[in-house]
Amino acid sequence: MLRSFLDYYRATILRQTEGLDAVQLATPLPPTTMTLGGMLKHLTWVESWWFRRVLNGLPELAWVGDGFAADPDWEWTSAKDDTWELLVSRYREVVAECDAILDAALATPEGLDLLAQRPRHGSYASVRWILVHLLEEYARHAGHADLIREAIDGKTDV
Amino acid sequence: MATQRTDPPLAASEVDTLRAYLAYHRDTMRRKTEGLDQAQLSQVHPPSTLTLGGLLKHAALNDDWWFCRVFEGRETEPDWVPAGAFDEDEDWELSSARDDSPAELRRIFDETAAAADAAIDRALAKDGLDTLSVTPSRREGTPFSLRWIILHMIEEYARHNGHADLLREAVDGQVGE
Repeated sequence: MLRSFLDYYRATILRQTEGLDAVQLATPLPPTTMTLGGMLKHLTWVESWWFRRVLNGLPELAWVGDGFAADPDWEWTSAKDDTWELLVSRYREVVAECDAILDAALATPEGLDLLAQRPRHGSYASVRWILVHLLEEYARHAGHADLIREAIDGKTDV
Repeated sequence: MATQRTDPPLAASEVDTLRAYLAYHRDTMRRKTEGLDQAQLSQVHPPSTLTLGGLLKHAALNDDWWFCRVFEGRETEPDWVPAGAFDEDEDWELSSARDDSPAELRRIFDETAAAADAAIDRALAKDGLDTLSVTPSRREGTPFSLRWIILHMIEEYARHNGHADLLREAVDGQVGE
């Protein structure tokens, strides 16, 4: 059930960002500086962070490089230079890898109680916590995307 | 004083994790809507017609709908909804909030959240998260489990808190999780 809620929001964010050109994807709704392209890149990085890096202890994604060295919001700000096709292909690739990691985690005897390899503030999160956290993070960003998309082309309830 | 909010425990049982996230998002909505006057709670961020006050009343209506009406089967509207309110305006809770004081909106929100929590407590004392709703799904004809309802309310609250993030930033510049 947790996974189906997460998949629902993964599909929602794709729907909220599709059908827009590069300018629209890079258009904020002031005063916020968030953009829909930035959000897609942010959520790609967030998926990788929780499943690849925190849960499995893997290194940073190759295409991130040293992007964060000069800009802590690099994934948000750099998205304006990426096409929607590139943003989506990276998103789908990362989600597929994260799903494989999740499959393996849920196949362990601990299942949802399995603990992450990388600590958070000195403690270890369970797979259950990671899934619920990702769900609420996605849903909150979908709320941001609702208002940004409505301002771009009037679409609501996407 | 700002509402205190507790981060959900990193490794806990299913019921503790879900209830902690529901409480976290209710507290987030309290924080996003407090310290503002009635005009600020009624301010829109065009082109959206949502307001922070409207979100508080909408969240209360959702808590009441899912936990008291669908889950426990109460058939009547809550006492703060006037008879026939939705006949004239299907978004009544969103549009009528501009006529409510900040204190009244917060009272409705807090009392409804407490009633919803009491419904959860009663169910957990019996069959836990597998407890089924009295009212079935209108679409599928089958009841909802308490587990599904709490998860749905977490994502519903989180999405509306996303709306609240942008509304609050536009009202007075306040940002943050």
